[in-house]
Amino acid sequence: MKHLFGEIAFLFRQQASVWAIALLACLASLSVGLGLQDISRQKAAIADVIALQHKDTAAVKVFAKEAGDAAYYRFHPTWDLPSPLAFAALGQRDIAPSILRIRALALEGQIHENEAHNPELALPGRLDFAFVLIYLAPLVLIVLFYDLWSGEREAGRLASLQAIPKARLRVWLPRIAARFILVSAVLVLAFWVGALISGAGLGETIAFTALILALLGFWTLVATLIARGAGSSPTNAAVLASIWFVITLIAPAGSNLVINAMTPIPDGATIMRENREAVHDAWDLDRDATLQRFYKLYPEFATSPPMQRPFEWKWYHAFQHLGDQQVEALSRAYRAGIAKRDARAGLVALALPPIAVQRALHRLARTDMAAQAAYQDRIRAYHTQLRTYYYPYLFTAKPFTPAAFDAAPKFEGP
Amino acid sequence: MRRALLIAQAELALMVRSRVALIGLIALLLLSTIAAATSHTHMAQERLSRIANQTQTDALFEAQPARHPHRMVHYGSYVYRPIGALAGFDPGIDPFSGTTLYLEGHRQNSATISAVRESSSLMRFGQLTPAFVLQTLAPLLLIFLGFSMITRERTRGSLGLLLSSGVTETDLILGKILALCAVGLIALSPALIALVSMVLATPSEAMAAALIGLGYGLYLLIWIVGIVAASAFAQSGQAALLGLVCIWCFVAIVAPRGAAEIATRAEPLNSRAATDLNIQAELRRLGDSHNPNDPFFATFKARTLAQYGVTKVEDLPFNFRGAVSAEGEALTSRLFDKHLAEVAASQRLQSYIVSAMSVLSPAIAVRHVSMAGAGTDLETHLRFVQQSEAHRFQMVQYLNGLHRNKLSLEDDAARSKDRLAEQRTRIGADNWAQVPDFRFKPTSASERLQSAISPIIILLAWLAGVVVLARWSRRSLGRSAR
Repeated sequence: MKHLFGEIAFLFRQQASVWAIALLACLASLSVGLGLQDISRQKAAIADVIALQHKDTAAVKVFAKEAGDAAYYRFHPTWDLPSPLAFAALGQRDIAPSILRIRALALEGQIHENEAHNPELALPGRLDFAFVLIYLAPLVLIVLFYDLWSGEREAGRLASLQAIPKARLRVWLPRIAARFILVSAVLVLAFWVGALISGAGLGETIAFTALILALLGFWTLVATLIARGAGSSPTNAAVLASIWFVITLIAPAGSNLVINAMTPIPDGATIMRENREAVHDAWDLDRDATLQRFYKLYPEFATSPPMQRPFEWKWYHAFQHLGDQQVEALSRAYRAGIAKRDARAGLVALALPPIAVQRALHRLARTDMAAQAAYQDRIRAYHTQLRTYYYPYLFTAKPFTPAAFDAAPKFEGP
Repeated sequence: MRRALLIAQAELALMVRSRVALIGLIALLLLSTIAAATSHTHMAQERLSRIANQTQTDALFEAQPARHPHRMVHYGSYVYRPIGALAGFDPGIDPFSGTTLYLEGHRQNSATISAVRESSSLMRFGQLTPAFVLQTLAPLLLIFLGFSMITRERTRGSLGLLLSSGVTETDLILGKILALCAVGLIALSPALIALVSMVLATPSEAMAAALIGLGYGLYLLIWIVGIVAASAFAQSGQAALLGLVCIWCFVAIVAPRGAAEIATRAEPLNSRAATDLNIQAELRRLGDSHNPNDPFFATFKARTLAQYGVTKVEDLPFNFRGAVSAEGEALTSRLFDKHLAEVAASQRLQSYIVSAMSVLSPAIAVRHVSMAGAGTDLETHLRFVQQSEAHRFQMVQYLNGLHRNKLSLEDDAARSKDRLAEQRTRIGADNWAQVPDFRFKPTSASERLQSAISPIIILLAWLAGVVVLARWSRRSLGRSAR
């Protein structure tokens, strides 16, 4: 313990280490601050839209006297609130919408809707805590470790250091531990402050902290292994930087390429187009046949009287759903394909610890592909609830009162 | 100059003998070749798939049966953002922005279906493209090969020997720069070959390709001169290496992200849902087509009746309902245009803010040159969205014109209740073929040149800066040799 404190005190007297750690502390705090701001913005944007939607709905209520009108004109907001840990690992939240307004019409034409983000800003990625941890912290560790042995050798002190009894325990272990502890302390403290402010739970905070330590532990191990070798200081620095570069930049980019090539998915644009074809073809098909197809899915409405006029809302809403039915297999294959790509990325992560940690952070923060898919599934479930809420008013004599308008199902967050 | 060449020759000979340098260079060449080949094939496939989608969509539109024209307004059309000939070199924003836009009446949809939402999160680590290799990877290799060029001479004591044998400081620095330039050129070659082959396939892109080549040439030259200057300044090899790797990390990795964070905060964008709702609210204030007594549509009716000198809409020489549809669409479309212009202005301002950050990082400047040249920058996307909106309006108004001129008001009003009237409101399928196809006009060669000028000037300023640094470093050479 005494050696450890001595070593930490010694580190603080070295200019390069002080600079490296100070820079890391600044960037870590900055990233936490930016992340917290992003999250509060997203929450405010969601609240904003829900408030605006109330006014819009009130305006629709004035003229939507029939259930068919309400189901056609009324938008229902859905949202994906950021989790308390999202500030630290923003993941896909900058490109996928966190609010989607849907109508009880065919869903496939609505669910792929995009956020109005600037793609140029999404291109480089975000400066969040996960970035500081995965990209920058290893470089700081490399700076602190690369000449741990070679520096002593080049200064001619290595032999005398090795001659100290229990050198491993009394010299090298404290040196390694001091560096690991300092870097960990800087990152963990910055993260804890953020977690405290955003009100993260104790369990998830501990799990996140464990991931931070695991990643730093991995790089400490790698750096120690290389630094202990026979290479000169510049060689060690170059080798470590190359390892970092291959693991954090080249391997993920290459894997992404291979995974996407290996895992073809149905064309998303085709799903939307076929959905439109299926929906619009209904105008020229036999109306009763369309309704019969619908009644096969919802036999409880089969007793609804036949159509009297060329246009009736029940027929319109029936073919909207049939349009979704027609592309359901394609849509499922599309989602399964994306999920499979993500699962394969998980396999790559088994070989590359930093990617594994990144994925685990995003999972904990619920900002990963699976979280996006889960939000879409919630939208789908809610859409079904909405449709089926309107059906009795469309297909039976059940009167659509203003109270019924108000009683339409509301989206519930996770 | 001759001495400088000799020094360069000696330095290159040393690199060839040192296996590490050779392996590094070969690895880079391999990676660069893989990146060029895969990115090119991928974007070529993507291009074909979008063309096929567009052809199929247009064919479907023309093949629609006889219908009420307003049905076609709701049927709508899709447009797919075309991919330029150089996009394989730098896909830029293409994978990060929606590629498909649904055009229909009364609504303005968002561009959807993007590669980033169809890939695993690995994609956010970066993509293996020639642009990525040159912007990020090549400078790091140059650092590894160049950091010790002068520190080595200094620590071995050969520096003083060289300088006393008649070699000037300028010769030495220039020689090392030339040697590193040779490496840079080799590193650049697979990407250049890819660029040239793309130009051979599409000669009209030659100027844009030259622009891209110039941008990357300047960018690598900045690194080369900077690395040699750092090597001259540094007291030890490891100090040079550490300093350079830190600078690299800031320039290539941190600064682009930081610039994006600053831009999102300096010019925040509304969520799409909020914009849509604001448009709806504004629309209700202006004119509510669901309200029979709405002042906007009442005025339109009075104006139209007065214009034709009749007292009721049934006496008009055309279908008044079609005219109302056209008037309503013009109203909504004006609002869409206004909001779209606002969003586009905000996004352009964001990009401008990012551009301004290139005084801190030449990587941002070269990225802008590269994306502008390849036609994969924000501007291309904004144009796609704005031209699509113009096309949407043209298509819808053409159909509303058919609605106004080819249908009788009586049938049109009765079509929801009367089966025969409904049949009579269907007009021939030949009308659909008359709708003009969407033809995307990408940024022209001269426009791309224009948008690349300021980043190129910034790159030149950077180059001037590092040259000054290199000249200044000569003094520290002379001092340490004595």
